[in-house]
Amino acid sequence: MQRRHFLSASAATLGSITSFASLGITGSARAAGIAHAEIVVIGGGYGGATAAKYLSLFSNRQARVTLIEPDDKFVSCPLSNLIVGGSQSLGDLTRSYDELTKQYGIKRIRDYASSIDPVKKTIKLKSGNVLRYDKLVLSPGVSMIWESVQGLIQANASGTTLQAWKAGPETERLHKQIAAMQDGGVYALSIPEAPYRCPPGPYERVCQVASYLKQHKPKSKIVVLDANQDIVSKGALFKKAWAELYPGMIDYLPSHNVVAVDAKSKTLKFDVQDDVKADVLNVLPSMRAGEIAVQTGLANASKRWVYVDFLTFESTAAKDIHVIGDATQNAQLMPKSGHMANQHAKVAAAAIVAELNDWPVAPAPLITNTCYSFVDAKRVVHVASVHAYDAKEKTFKVVPGSGGLSSEPSALEGTYAWSWARNIWSDMLA
Amino acid sequence: MNRASTFGLSSLIITATALVPSFAQSSSDQLNRSLLAASCANCHGTEGKPASPAVMPALSGQKSEDLLAQLLAYRNGTQAGTIMPQIAKGYSEEQLKIIAQYLGKS
Repeated sequence: MQRRHFLSASAATLGSITSFASLGITGSARAAGIAHAEIVVIGGGYGGATAAKYLSLFSNRQARVTLIEPDDKFVSCPLSNLIVGGSQSLGDLTRSYDELTKQYGIKRIRDYASSIDPVKKTIKLKSGNVLRYDKLVLSPGVSMIWESVQGLIQANASGTTLQAWKAGPETERLHKQIAAMQDGGVYALSIPEAPYRCPPGPYERVCQVASYLKQHKPKSKIVVLDANQDIVSKGALFKKAWAELYPGMIDYLPSHNVVAVDAKSKTLKFDVQDDVKADVLNVLPSMRAGEIAVQTGLANASKRWVYVDFLTFESTAAKDIHVIGDATQNAQLMPKSGHMANQHAKVAAAAIVAELNDWPVAPAPLITNTCYSFVDAKRVVHVASVHAYDAKEKTFKVVPGSGGLSSEPSALEGTYAWSWARNIWSDMLA
Repeated sequence: MNRASTFGLSSLIITATALVPSFAQSSSDQLNRSLLAASCANCHGTEGKPASPAVMPALSGQKSEDLLAQLLAYRNGTQAGTIMPQIAKGYSEEQLKIIAQYLGKS
């Protein structure tokens, strides 16, 4: 608290000095100083909510921050596989945004950002209102490339297939479909080629569905249709868990790229392999940056992801738009995870505070990733990594010797996983 | 906390009589320390204060020197753990020192 006061006092004093010192920068947000800059955050997920809070914290409440988020409450994607497996409910993973306003003075607009004009520096909302920004943090998450699988748009609209990859009502619907399946039925999960949101997520989902079926419908089967050549994350741990906890239940088929779905016969079709029929179809199409990033012309990496300057997370395609989280083009071994989005947000927030005060940005940021996966309702395995900025190559690189995996699933790490959830939700929202 | 206040005060005095850039550098250094310490907050809570019910130890409630000793022990492998030995190896001793001073008590 006192440390913050220190920073507050110096930042406040500095604000007046730097605004004086920066008067020559005509038209720049810097000239007005951080207290007068319009800072807007689009998206209230792990990245955006963290950015909003830390813009306030790092500027000692000097920054004026507006958060645009259509949803009334935050729902966590991490841990939502537990809803699919039936051991948790959506309410367990839902939190309020209210403290961001009460404690940090963040103005929240419950609306949907329809378009961004990076030249005029304006945002058009679905309601028709237009906002101006000096600095924009864009945390749009991912969008599904529905057209990558023929027939998927109609199949998902009718509920014949579900994705349930963005936690919400569809997550509960998927559990209900599995619960309604006859004992002896087949649940099929298709996984797109990486990169996609949450690398270990599909394999954790397999564990959760298997855990439910083992208890309630033990004659049932799971077919995993993976477009990748092997399990993308925590492979050895998942394979061991599947073999030991759910023997004979899971059929894992690598290099199976779904190209079409026939909703009527509940059949998945592939490039070369035979069709697969199932009772419950959970089809995850290829993913790319959230729609608004693509529409704004920011997706300049393979037309799917957003290249950023890793010191500031500013888009390389548009000045003063800082893109964070899953939408970004990954640095080496940097996963698309909620934890990582939180860490991106802090680097971006610090860079924006520094820039608006005419300070140099942090020259060597260091960020971490931690990801817990439940192999049943209680036991967990983790993967962790530490990423340091490499000034020569202008990217983040994994620090040699750091990071690693669990040696085996444990209930102790299950308690750590829930502790992680409480702390990261608090770190972004409270 | 008193240490930080004292440091803040002395900074203000020094920079009040110094050129603006040195004052700016001092403050951006402080921001950079906050950013480094914020890398711990995901698992340990903002400013080292965990959410309730707390499982992880409150980093903010520990003495800086004790915190540093633990972090270094995780880093050099003398302290066992699940995730912390893997994370601590990603930080330099200097970085751990900054974090311990920032989050811990004097």
